[in-house]
Amino acid sequence: MEAPPVTMMPVTGGTINMMEYLLQGSVLDHSLESLIHRLRGLCDNMEPETFLDHEMVFLLKGQQASPFVLRARRSMDRAGAPWHLRYLGQPEMGDKNRHALVRNCVDIATSENLTDFLMEMGFRMDHEFVAKGHLFRKGIMKIMVYKIFRILVPGNTDSTEALSLSYLVELSVVAPAGQDMVSDDMRNFAEQLKPLVHLEKIDPKRLM
Amino acid sequence: MQVRIRLALVTANQPLVTGQKREEKQLEASLDALLSQVADLKNSLGSFIYKLENEYDRLTWPSVLDSFALLSGQLNTLNKVLKHEKTPLFRNQVIIPLVLSPDRDEDLMRQTEGRVPVFSHEVVPDHLRTKPDPEVEEQEKQLTTDAARIGADAAQKQIQSLNKMCSNLLEKISKEERESESGGLRPNKQTFNPADTNALVAAVAFGKGLSNWRPSGSSGPGQPGQPGAGTILAGASGLQPVQMAGAPSQQQPMLSGVQMAQAGQPGKMPSGIKTNIKSASMHPYQR
Repeated sequence: MEAPPVTMMPVTGGTINMMEYLLQGSVLDHSLESLIHRLRGLCDNMEPETFLDHEMVFLLKGQQASPFVLRARRSMDRAGAPWHLRYLGQPEMGDKNRHALVRNCVDIATSENLTDFLMEMGFRMDHEFVAKGHLFRKGIMKIMVYKIFRILVPGNTDSTEALSLSYLVELSVVAPAGQDMVSDDMRNFAEQLKPLVHLEKIDPKRLM
Repeated sequence: MQVRIRLALVTANQPLVTGQKREEKQLEASLDALLSQVADLKNSLGSFIYKLENEYDRLTWPSVLDSFALLSGQLNTLNKVLKHEKTPLFRNQVIIPLVLSPDRDEDLMRQTEGRVPVFSHEVVPDHLRTKPDPEVEEQEKQLTTDAARIGADAAQKQIQSLNKMCSNLLEKISKEERESESGGLRPNKQTFNPADTNALVAAVAFGKGLSNWRPSGSSGPGQPGQPGAGTILAGASGLQPVQMAGAPSQQQPMLSGVQMAQAGQPGKMPSGIKTNIKSASMHPYQR
């Protein structure tokens, strides 16, 4: 079998414009068990999946006013897993008919020398954190329940400290642009998590 | 049916001859149903009593409740059988003993499981009694006369006070129930904290609250950072000089300054603290 010519790969962008639909909420530590229990009931029947990731956010200051942001993520509990490079566009709140936050997204798996590559390109690390939690799936929906730890010594993921007494809960779907119907499914799913967790579209600009 | 051989069942209101046979059959059937229900009940009662007597040391409350539920269910079925429209009215049946004998009767003994050895004049009045015991009858009569002696007004009053007490009690119980219920729910109510949600979202979106190692000079989407020093550290270090300045005597340690202020003007302490915190939280941004 011959490998497809490189030019055929959709790396140039624009061919598939993927969007991430997102709802966010949080759950206090003591209610985590109940939430996990409910999610196990609601989601696809699969082995409970946990993750422990280290995310680094890099900035590239160009001529434009706003810097270019890339997120590099690596798994800390699964040796040999590829790194994950992610670009997220500006989030759009949209109107009332769309029940989720939408932002452009590009996901790429990379080798582990990603940070060196980014640094060579002129990127500088802005901040980093450790995310530890549970992953659930229901169809194309992905539900992540995780705790965020701040890193006390730069680059040393052994000394960390929990950011808050809550777990962040994210319900996300990555779909081609214009598939706003998925937000209806997301809203329905979010309804089923009430009153344990209220998943909402939260505009991060409001929190800056 | 041993008993029925000995006793003649006399139908009080003699029906027409044509309907007699049908009625007899019906009576027989309903008696059989009744007998089987009573036997079931008796078995459950027996096993329950056995349990109480022999397993009381390892008896659990749920199993007692189970037994109760079984008994009450069987009593209900018995009542249903009695009230069934096909069941003839047993009170219209009269039972008269035909033969009384002081001799021991093995058949009867077997049928009653050893409880009634003879069918004599001694036991028959007890077993065929249709009215309460004479003592009970006496007591009932006493009560009736007592009730009759009380005037209608007094009786009404007593009824009212009883009703009032009952309703008060009911209210109290239901209030208690409601409170315990809501009390049980309250700790579960708070399962998330909107402030935490915002903090976490801000953290993943642009690293707010996370230690950032932004090189100096660059201004990210967040606050201006410092080389090597996290914002948290900056906040902590910013706290120190401000509080020192807030304390009246600069050379003294913090603690004694606070104590002095407390001793001098206790009323003004809280406001002093407030300004300290305020200025401390604002300070890091100026550095």
